Amino acid sequence: MSQRFLAGAPFAALLGLAAGTALVAPAWAADPEPIRIGVIAENQAIGGVAITNAAHLAADELNAKGGVGGRKIEIIEYDDHSSSADAVRAFQRAVNQDHVAAVIASYISEVVLALEPWAARLKTPLITPGAASNEISRAVHDDYARNKYTFHGYLTSSFLAQAVCDFSHDILVGKLHMTSTVVMSEDAAWTTPLDDTSLQCLPEAGLKVLDHIRFSPDTTDFTPLFNQIEAKHPDVITTGISHVGVQPTVQWASQQVPIPMAGISSQATTTSFWRDTNGAAQGVLVDENAAPDVAVTPKTIPFATAYAKRFGITPGYAGYSAADDVNIIAEAVQRAGSTDADKLVEELEKTDYVGTYGKVAFYGRNDQYTHALKYGPGYITTLVVQWQDGKQVTLWPENIANGKLTFPSFIKLPQPHAAQ
Amino acid sequence: MLALQILIDGFAISALYGLGAIGFTLIFGVSGVLNLSHGGIMVIAAIAAWAIAGDLHAGTYIGSAAGVLIGLIAALVTYGLVVRPIQRSRAIPRDETEIFVLTGTLLWGIMIQEAVAYFFTDNPVTVVPLISGVATIGGVRVPYNEIMIAAICWSVIGLLWLLVNRTRAGRALLAASINPRGLTLLGFELSSIYLLVWTIYGVLAGLAGVLLATFLGAGSANIGQLTASAFSIVVLGGLGSVSGSLLAAYVVGYLETLTAYLVAPTLRTIPSLLLLVIVVYLRPQGLLGRR
Amino acid sequence: MAAVRRWRPWALVVLLVLLAVLPWGVSAYIVGVLTVAYYFAVYAMSWDLLFGFAGEVNFGPTFLIGLGAYAASLLDIHRWPVPLCVLVGAAAAVVGGAALAVPALRLRGPYFGLVTLVAVLVLQQVIVIFAGITGGEIGLSVPDVLAVDANPNYWYALAFMVASGGILVTLSRSPVGLILQASGQDATETAALGFNVAKHKVAAFCVSAFFSGLSGAMVVFYEGTVSVGSVIDLALGVQVIIAAVLGGRRTIYGAALGAIFLILANELLRPLGQLNTFVVAAVALIVILFFPNGFMGILGRAGERS
Repeated sequence: MSQRFLAGAPFAALLGLAAGTALVAPAWAADPEPIRIGVIAENQAIGGVAITNAAHLAADELNAKGGVGGRKIEIIEYDDHSSSADAVRAFQRAVNQDHVAAVIASYISEVVLALEPWAARLKTPLITPGAASNEISRAVHDDYARNKYTFHGYLTSSFLAQAVCDFSHDILVGKLHMTSTVVMSEDAAWTTPLDDTSLQCLPEAGLKVLDHIRFSPDTTDFTPLFNQIEAKHPDVITTGISHVGVQPTVQWASQQVPIPMAGISSQATTTSFWRDTNGAAQGVLVDENAAPDVAVTPKTIPFATAYAKRFGITPGYAGYSAADDVNIIAEAVQRAGSTDADKLVEELEKTDYVGTYGKVAFYGRNDQYTHALKYGPGYITTLVVQWQDGKQVTLWPENIANGKLTFPSFIKLPQPHAAQ
Repeated sequence: MLALQILIDGFAISALYGLGAIGFTLIFGVSGVLNLSHGGIMVIAAIAAWAIAGDLHAGTYIGSAAGVLIGLIAALVTYGLVVRPIQRSRAIPRDETEIFVLTGTLLWGIMIQEAVAYFFTDNPVTVVPLISGVATIGGVRVPYNEIMIAAICWSVIGLLWLLVNRTRAGRALLAASINPRGLTLLGFELSSIYLLVWTIYGVLAGLAGVLLATFLGAGSANIGQLTASAFSIVVLGGLGSVSGSLLAAYVVGYLETLTAYLVAPTLRTIPSLLLLVIVVYLRPQGLLGRR
Repeated sequence: MAAVRRWRPWALVVLLVLLAVLPWGVSAYIVGVLTVAYYFAVYAMSWDLLFGFAGEVNFGPTFLIGLGAYAASLLDIHRWPVPLCVLVGAAAAVVGGAALAVPALRLRGPYFGLVTLVAVLVLQQVIVIFAGITGGEIGLSVPDVLAVDANPNYWYALAFMVASGGILVTLSRSPVGLILQASGQDATETAALGFNVAKHKVAAFCVSAFFSGLSGAMVVFYEGTVSVGSVIDLALGVQVIIAAVLGGRRTIYGAALGAIFLILANELLRPLGQLNTFVVAAVALIVILFFPNGFMGILGRAGERS
């Protein structure tokens, strides 16, 4: 036997094995073929594992009721280790080997943007339940024929910023008489449109923006940032953070920065945040799409309760949307009567589904944010919670509020008289 | 006031960088090993302290102590399972031990990172500081914890100095870093010296990990960054030089703090990276290193 | 041994033919995975040329890969033709790499390693800071791809890997390769023999940079996007080093084998979910501890026995 020929042997064997698994086609004897949905997420990350968990939960609930149109839902999960290259390979496997009808993928914009051309190439619907970058829907708008397979199942950054402004207007300005803020965001693509919108709408809401600070998502020491902010004497810090969360919150508390933090803080949306920060989250205000104990829709509380029972923590923000995505895909397959990608896209565009945190519908081809979630009253709105003694207490919108504002003792709120 | 603020903030972070880097440089000095699983060991200690203090309700004192102990165990396991077999392997040529130690500890670091992420997610965690509250120094608010970190770091560094200069084992260690062969001629077992230096390293890395968790927070996502920053500080100071590493830790710590305050927080690490490249070109032995 | 030598070219031809017809036998998914593996193999082979033959530990293969990939993407966005983008990408890697490495190559051991490591960190920061041009951490989408279908992409990658591998193997066996190998083991003696060690090392570095950059640029036109995470991240560089050492240093072939193994093993272990990277790293560590000469060493021994 030749020495060089053997060189090929181990990976030829690997190939054989891989090819072998490819050929073992599942045999569906009696049951109608299940609707297979691929879930590509980051199971080591709080934001990612919520997607996988919620998808399984939603599928199990549908299957317990007999599936959709007699067909079971089968979730096939893939871990992408937060890597876009890994996610692309998982997508290929999902489509070419596991023959899924559609893919639900990731909370990281970079990963979703890397998958978008593959959704077009392999003609398979792709929904992201958690990425926020405006680029995702912009690509659909700019080249609809090619990118129509991608749906943005989460609010784009601009809408998130609008939600924070609405809350600021009602509570921070209206109730707490605040007049100024500093915008503090991680330097990432999703925060560019976020900050563009907030810099415009915060003054309209009544908060003068004294400074705008962007910092590297790799930052671990936030002391200089907080000192820089404090020197401007704002009434509040408007946050735009997702890659970081625990570290700035803990340092804010341990340094007793006397200014409240309010805004987007994705890590703070799940209960493990309290544990990870050892309670430093006390008093932090966070914009969320749903809270586990507020009935935004009739489905919110049952879903959040079932999730917490099964996984031990409350669903992270992407959990709600991932559960809804499983349902809207299943219904689209049923309406289309097939898993043909183009028909599925047509049906997904007609989505009108009351989900766990609002009514899910997508913007059309001629709207600015094609295939992004519709935002606003009657569709998806958000709410603001505050961390209080290990619990998230809902404060806004006021019609669903179930608690009162309270801050740790080191926070100095503006005095209404001094402000005048 | 800004100057005082930079002075105070830079001091604590630099002390922490120094503590993390000293053990790293000691191992290199004594056995020529660059341990690229360094960040992993620090994070294991941090996560252990957090889990034991919080999940097992042991409180922050016991949790922190247990974290340091587990950091020590992780360091000894790294030595026994990865580094020692490579050093002793007959199949690896002497002059290539270095690349094998690098690759081996890199792989070990990846395994630690994946395991930590699997069991504890990649979210950073924090340990409740031993002392909470803030002091006001010249109008600057300073958490007591920051003062305590600086004090602990410098006490440990002082103890280490005593150990190296005032005890027999310590002097053997010092001699080993200058001339290992001469030392074996004097009747010392190199392997027991290696074990000693890895033990010291484990305590230092464990302590640095736990203190980091009380100060800034730590998680599996930081592992690569922690290793790279220890490596950079150690090279900047001069490989194998303890005082050089301390000096370099302060240079890097203050350069980062200054940049973050005076230029922009986004550019924080850039000047120290550039400084490193310049020093390596002009003075490859580092600030205080010997060739 | 003589029989082995006679068989070797034939075995290689048979293997290549098998690989070329493979797309008709396996699913498009396997074809896609192998496509990536082949580009990855070129990264590892380029790294092995520099390490195995010149003895320099380059921690920054992704600096070169990233330069190639980003240069090609930015030009493609300005609608330059794809072949030109790829070539300019490779040239950018050579120029950028040479500017950085030429002064560093006179340093030995960890110093060269550190400079290359820092280069990656700086490039990463530059990309994020100049997000307006580079797209920042989410990266860029390029308008062109080599091919939409899986099979042509596979053949491009295979041909590219075979051509690059051929050139790198030939180079490593040429007199230049021998001088490099000698200088890697004992630079002083090699210089004493009258060879210009530095010049040969710079040449080796440039060749390594050329193929790394070229492969980085090709990957962009396969994936359709480029981002810090996919072409610059330190984790990718670590994978390249592991692949080369795992396959067997100083063999070039081995690096390709190690690279293909790493990618395939990760995919085969995908059912393990999150843990596949852990298992692959553990396997690689065991191979390195017990078989320091990697796969090529194991195969060599098996070949001698039979």
